[in-house]
Amino acid sequence: MATEVIDSTLDFRMLAEHRLYLMKVARLQLRDEHLAEDCVSDVLTQAYEKRASFRGGSSLRTWLTAILKNRIIDLLRKQWREQPLEVPGDEGEGAIERMFDASGHYAHMPSEVRDPAELCQQDGFLAAVQRCVDMLPKRIGQVFVLREVFGTETKDICKDLDLTTSNVWVQLYRARMMLRTCLERGGFGHAQPR
Amino acid sequence: MRSLARQPMIRISCQQASLLLSQQQDESLTLGKRLRLRLHLMYCDACTNVSRQFAALRLAMMRWRERD
Repeated sequence: MATEVIDSTLDFRMLAEHRLYLMKVARLQLRDEHLAEDCVSDVLTQAYEKRASFRGGSSLRTWLTAILKNRIIDLLRKQWREQPLEVPGDEGEGAIERMFDASGHYAHMPSEVRDPAELCQQDGFLAAVQRCVDMLPKRIGQVFVLREVFGTETKDICKDLDLTTSNVWVQLYRARMMLRTCLERGGFGHAQPR
Repeated sequence: MRSLARQPMIRISCQQASLLLSQQQDESLTLGKRLRLRLHLMYCDACTNVSRQFAALRLAMMRWRERD
């Protein structure tokens, strides 16, 4: 009996060690501190309840991330249903258009990134990227995070969020284009922005 | 000699090339699209830079995720 209590305590502590990580991801995805808190609490509770089904083949973090992803998709579906866009998927179109001249060429030369691997080792760059993701129009950012942080395939994003393939492509394209211009202002080829 | 890249059907704008660069991160492109993109990148420094910026973005998100 005593052993069982100790075991389950340890078990919850092990799950809770990943709480900050889950919060970081949930915050980026949901953009709402309270919603992220609730979401991560749900995830940890759910994980604890079904801890017997964790086989250890994948890492604990991977397992928790999968639970978080499902919870986030439920929340996004609910959010998107409750606040439909007037013109769905048109966020950010003007910003992209302005990057090109009338003949479809870049109006400004995009900066050269000499060594992406080296750049991505800098905390300052990663912080700049996070800030830029936070500044994306909400839905574009949410689709981007689903794709890049959770590694969700585009066909699954379509299925999960009831979007067409071309809509997802356009949203990801806009996300990347807005991120690259955001990073032109401190990030690519610059010292740590502040 | 007329280069292949100058033929209208094959030549694409930076805007189209950038869309393909993004799409390439999510799906495998058809042979035709791949060819048009490759040709465009051969003569376009702007899109070559964008291609590396996109690569840096993907890597940055991976690193960001791995951090505690």
